[in-house]
Amino acid sequence: MVFVTGIGIISAIGKNVSETLSSLLESRTGIGKINHLQTIHKDNYVAGEVNYSLQELENLAGLKNSNYNRTTLLSLLATQEALISAEIKDISTHRTGFISASSVGGMCHSELLYKDFLERKPHKNFIDTHYTGSHATDVAKHFGIIDYVTTISTACSSAANAIMLGARLINNNILDRVVVGGTDALCKFTFNGFNTLMILDKEWCKPFDNNRKGLNLGEGAAYLVLESERVVKAENKKPLAILSGYGNANDAFHQTASSPDGQGAYAAIQKALEVANLSPIKIDYINAHGTGTANNDSSEAAALQNIFKENIPPFSSTKAFTGHTLAAAASIEAVISILSIQQKTIFPNLNCVTHMQDTKLFPVTSLQKNAELNHVLSNSFGFGGNCSSLIFSKN
Amino acid sequence: MAMYINGTGCISHQNTIDVDDFFENSRIDLLPLLPTQEPDYKDYVPTNMLRRMSHIIKMGVAAAKISLQQAETENVDAIITGTGLGCFEDTDKFLKTIIENNEQLLTPTSFIQSTHNTVAGQIALLIKCHNYNFTYTQQGLSFESALIDAAMFLNENKNSNILVGGLDEAIQPYYDLLVKAGHIKKQGDVITEIEKNKTKGFCLGEGASFFVLSTKKNKTTKTQIKGIKTFTAIKGSNDLQNKLTAFLQELNLSVDDVNLVLSGNSGNVEDDKLLNENNKHFFSKTDIAYFKTLCGEYFTASAFALWLASAIIEKQKIPKALTQEHSNKKDLKNILIIDQYRNTEYSFMCVSSC
Repeated sequence: MVFVTGIGIISAIGKNVSETLSSLLESRTGIGKINHLQTIHKDNYVAGEVNYSLQELENLAGLKNSNYNRTTLLSLLATQEALISAEIKDISTHRTGFISASSVGGMCHSELLYKDFLERKPHKNFIDTHYTGSHATDVAKHFGIIDYVTTISTACSSAANAIMLGARLINNNILDRVVVGGTDALCKFTFNGFNTLMILDKEWCKPFDNNRKGLNLGEGAAYLVLESERVVKAENKKPLAILSGYGNANDAFHQTASSPDGQGAYAAIQKALEVANLSPIKIDYINAHGTGTANNDSSEAAALQNIFKENIPPFSSTKAFTGHTLAAAASIEAVISILSIQQKTIFPNLNCVTHMQDTKLFPVTSLQKNAELNHVLSNSFGFGGNCSSLIFSKN
Repeated sequence: MAMYINGTGCISHQNTIDVDDFFENSRIDLLPLLPTQEPDYKDYVPTNMLRRMSHIIKMGVAAAKISLQQAETENVDAIITGTGLGCFEDTDKFLKTIIENNEQLLTPTSFIQSTHNTVAGQIALLIKCHNYNFTYTQQGLSFESALIDAAMFLNENKNSNILVGGLDEAIQPYYDLLVKAGHIKKQGDVITEIEKNKTKGFCLGEGASFFVLSTKKNKTTKTQIKGIKTFTAIKGSNDLQNKLTAFLQELNLSVDDVNLVLSGNSGNVEDDKLLNENNKHFFSKTDIAYFKTLCGEYFTASAFALWLASAIIEKQKIPKALTQEHSNKKDLKNILIIDQYRNTEYSFMCVSSC
């Protein structure tokens, strides 16, 4: 069995777990005016920015002249909180790994420095920190994690795969303890990418609403500390939750679009249920991928209908709080799922008003307290057909 | 648990498609930039798909197809890739347009093909594979990460067949950036005996190497991977030797059992120092060959080394281009690959006959 013993998070709705929880309990979105990203589109769109400048993030991390980019600093801050939350004082007492996820890594610096780099002089923040795995090297080094370090980049499902890999490394007795999650900073590259695909909503996104117009981009990082049963017992730890299931599949339908029947999503959920040894009826709540694009939400709804038939559990997408944080999304939503279990609360799917015409599904739209949540499913899907699902269970 | 190599496909700077002569006629032509020898991609990818594909996607899909053909299988239970740089051609194209056009008049094609998992996704699309699909990116350990996952997957799913690959592209804009950053060897400094380099910098290579792996031996089985281990920090020569000793012990092998070492010297005098020191002491009686003289330095060059090691054991022949001693007399059973990337990331792989 794999236990979650620590969590750390930074996103548009807070720089730590307690701020995140307050925002969720008060239904306060972090999506708004763009202040930090220097894009020509900033006045026409909203986004879920982490409300700190690069310098402020560095200060928060207690660093000086680190030269770390935004992606790395977000990763470092969330990792720090996760390690403190898991009460880990000495990394070297167990075989410890760091598995991160990112879609574009150092792009937030690359896009600013590229031109100057070629025309004038090389800058130390480019090209050597451009690589998507660079942040993991730096963050692992910062915390002295040496037993295994790697990065997964499977677009918007990346962090789910990092969490899944961590659990497998423990189950295969390669590691005893592993910090898993993902990080992505907003950058012009992804902003313009999603804009050319015409799947950005200029106003607040409306996941699972019939009139949804697209997604809002966000940024952030979140990490979980996973530990083996042996470590938890030996150290008499009180786990926050159990990571009971995980599944990965490919939609194999189109490079960016999801299949109408959500075949990949269905297979990922099915595998996660098998690993957790649970029948669908046991799932008490689903933290959906729910990006707010026409294609994703109908495809995901179709997959949910195929798995759960008439008994679809309460579900919501929390992306209207944080924005779509891409490679960090699954770990941000994993933390939110764990908070749901701990708080016995289902956080609402904001901005959803109108029922989708092509399905009977309708998400939870107001805060639901006193919800006894034993098993929570969290979905994440991405470009390249990558689909992953995780199941967190009450300890 | 055994990890058999049942099929391989490799696109590299050498002619690794038609390997009957096994580099008999190839020469070492080290240059600062070492592009791949291109096969006729139409043989492996439908023309309608080929049109939109960038260089890395073509290389990856073709190498994957070749390995599947060799393994006489059409589908697999998992597709796992590793790439240090990802799809740079498309990334660069989109990034430059953003900069040059000030975020206007952009088209999505290069963006949607810029994600690191594009190749694994395209292979899944091509062979209609709905199974496990993962992409790793950890600089010099990207391919090794994929291989470690592969070993776990085979352990969890006995009787499965999986596709694993390492790939990176060395397109001109990336090369230009590395030149500017001072990482590339100056033309006049390039010497063919990579281990004797006294200058900084490396020759940039590229390639895609794919493997069909299985826990089951069958008629297409070539060799087996006995072990794989990665390190993100090595503290000097003693540390490296201790780690090597522990690695061989775990595989029940002694230094004498290793018939050949494929050493990942990049040609950068500073980065190769530790490897050279280690090779001199630890492998004083073992044949050593320097595989990056054939493929150049890139994040996933170790995948080329794995392909090469497997081919050497299968053919029981060390290519002339690789070693002066040209010792093809003895029984080649175990090959140890020691790779390093900028003297920070190290990996060991052991390939054996079966």
